[in-house]
Amino acid sequence: MFYTITEQVVNGIVSGSVYAIVAVGMTMIFGVLRAINFAHGEYYMLGTFGAWFAIDYFDLPYPVAVVIGVVATAVIAVVVGNFVMQRIVGAPAEAGVLATLGVSLILQNTVILFFGGSYKFFSGGYIEPVTLFGFTLAEQRILIIIVGLIVFIGLELMVTYSRMGKAMRAVSQNIECCAVVGIDVRHVALWTFILGAGLAGLSGVLTAPVNVSVYGGMGELITFKTLPIIIMGGLGNVRGTFVAAMILGVAESLVATYVGLQFRDTVGFATLMLVLMWRPHGLFSAQARF
Amino acid sequence: MTTYLSRRGFCVGTALIGFQAVSSSAFAGRAEDGMVKLGLVAPMSGPNARYGSFSLRGAQMAAKEINGAGGVGGRKIDVLSADSQGTPVEGVSATRRLIDQDQVDFIIGDVSSSVTLAMQPVVEDAGVLLLNAASSNPMITYKAGVGGFKWTFRNYPTDENRALVVLQYAAEKKGLTKYAVLSVDTDYGRAAIEFTKKYLPRFKSQILTEDYYKEGEVDFRSVLSKIRDSGAQAIIMYGNADSAPIVGRQMIEVGIAGKIPLIGNAEFNTASTIKAAPKAMEGAIEAAAWLPSYQSERSKAFVDKFTAEYREAPNNHAYVHWETVHLLAKAIEQAKSIDREKVRAALSGIHYDSAVGEVTFDDHNQARLPMILLEIEGGKPVIKGAYTAEIDYPK
Repeated sequence: MFYTITEQVVNGIVSGSVYAIVAVGMTMIFGVLRAINFAHGEYYMLGTFGAWFAIDYFDLPYPVAVVIGVVATAVIAVVVGNFVMQRIVGAPAEAGVLATLGVSLILQNTVILFFGGSYKFFSGGYIEPVTLFGFTLAEQRILIIIVGLIVFIGLELMVTYSRMGKAMRAVSQNIECCAVVGIDVRHVALWTFILGAGLAGLSGVLTAPVNVSVYGGMGELITFKTLPIIIMGGLGNVRGTFVAAMILGVAESLVATYVGLQFRDTVGFATLMLVLMWRPHGLFSAQARF
Repeated sequence: MTTYLSRRGFCVGTALIGFQAVSSSAFAGRAEDGMVKLGLVAPMSGPNARYGSFSLRGAQMAAKEINGAGGVGGRKIDVLSADSQGTPVEGVSATRRLIDQDQVDFIIGDVSSSVTLAMQPVVEDAGVLLLNAASSNPMITYKAGVGGFKWTFRNYPTDENRALVVLQYAAEKKGLTKYAVLSVDTDYGRAAIEFTKKYLPRFKSQILTEDYYKEGEVDFRSVLSKIRDSGAQAIIMYGNADSAPIVGRQMIEVGIAGKIPLIGNAEFNTASTIKAAPKAMEGAIEAAAWLPSYQSERSKAFVDKFTAEYREAPNNHAYVHWETVHLLAKAIEQAKSIDREKVRAALSGIHYDSAVGEVTFDDHNQARLPMILLEIEGGKPVIKGAYTAEIDYPK
């Protein structure tokens, strides 16, 4: 009994790490652009496709494919950022919703147009199971947890100490004042977006070996899983997002075991409703963004 | 403006009535010209267009073979294709078009179960024989024969057949009695488990855990560890091709690969699925209506001929339509007429040798069809033979 629960908690932490890396990008983009990025899952998909393309067409090793996947996502993010996301700064909320939904459709269908709508098979990664403290996990999952931790520590350091990180925090607090003191808001917005999209791409490449199937519509589910997390964590709150992602991951895992797999996806939305009712600013309130 | 429009509408209307009168009188002497008019309703456009095109090619090839050998009782078979677009609405109007305008003698169709269900009352009203070749929903023949619709026949195994045959094979050949369920949360996945449950007592078996996953689900670890600890001997999975490799890989992770096999249907046998998780797929059991690698004289001859003719290997839909046209031709031959009543009677009592085994019809006009069982051994699907099982109809 105890063993099962511990194992399910470990399972939850693994899926929580994936959610965390995707959600942190989305929450940062919200902090700076004040727009929910409905195309966020699409960057996750693009990262996976980039790596799949590198492995399937050029037979490259997985670590190289990871780099290619992330770089490809970042390049596309530069284009979208310049043409779409920069223009959202200061625009009404509807503009952000419509623009990102549109981008999501375009990215998804462009990929389907080029590679076809069928399921592809991702063959890279480290899928051999290893036993750790009595649990068997694929090596890739341990890698996911480690990379997740590195990403979060890196982000904390960046927003606390680097110039760009401080600018991001400033923009998320007051756009007008930033403009007054000479911070290039559009520049900051663009870089935040590229960073967020790149992280989503990274998370896609990292999970591809354990999720195996690659297809154009794979990002949609991710977007909808991410929404409750960033709201639970408090929009724009990096640390809160990390904790919320872990809570959701573990809760889902326990529900799947003790209630039934079919109820798994309800966890996210049920918590979303509860949080919106009782703590609309997120579980950790909005003392500080970033 | 309004008067002008309605006047024009009136003119067009009258013209159409006139046209219809002419056309129906022109076709009044149906099929006395030495032809057998065979309508084929299939999705020729839309998302399932590929299935429709295979169906038509299969049917056309059969017609060509029969006509080449002198036809049925001296009559040539003429296949008339009508597009259902895979939707019930279009399927019904395609069926009406075949009956009213083309005046077909018999109809084969559709691939999609929902379309076939909608076509049944239409052919019943018109008294035209519908021989379905590719729909798997059991309702179609629950409602046929003694169940109500006298003009619907089906020459295809149902989802219920599949569930039953898989369970029977697992129980009788593998000695399995305890199962875990991991199926897709759709009508297909849930119905397959309902049918499985219906036959559990027959094989003194039980289901220990029951879970359904959403399409697109990627994390099965929790449920697979639960299954591992439940004492189940096999996992019954009715799902889609994209989930099987994920489940397989995670089975390896939680340590049940090679110990608890997958049984059911989720394209376990495709090369990419086996490659994704060879250890987990070992021992997987799946039932299929037909597959190109099936080793029988007739099946091999069909595959060779189809591949030569269309420069593409046939799929299941091509085969079932090819076989069904031949089946119908044999019924017409035995009836020695294209009179519908006589052909229907001949079909009810037919003994037809198909590529997978003998075909007969039960009192629900459902073909008693063998299903081919595949088991993965040494990383390759091995055909374990064709099995038939008797369906219990609801009283």
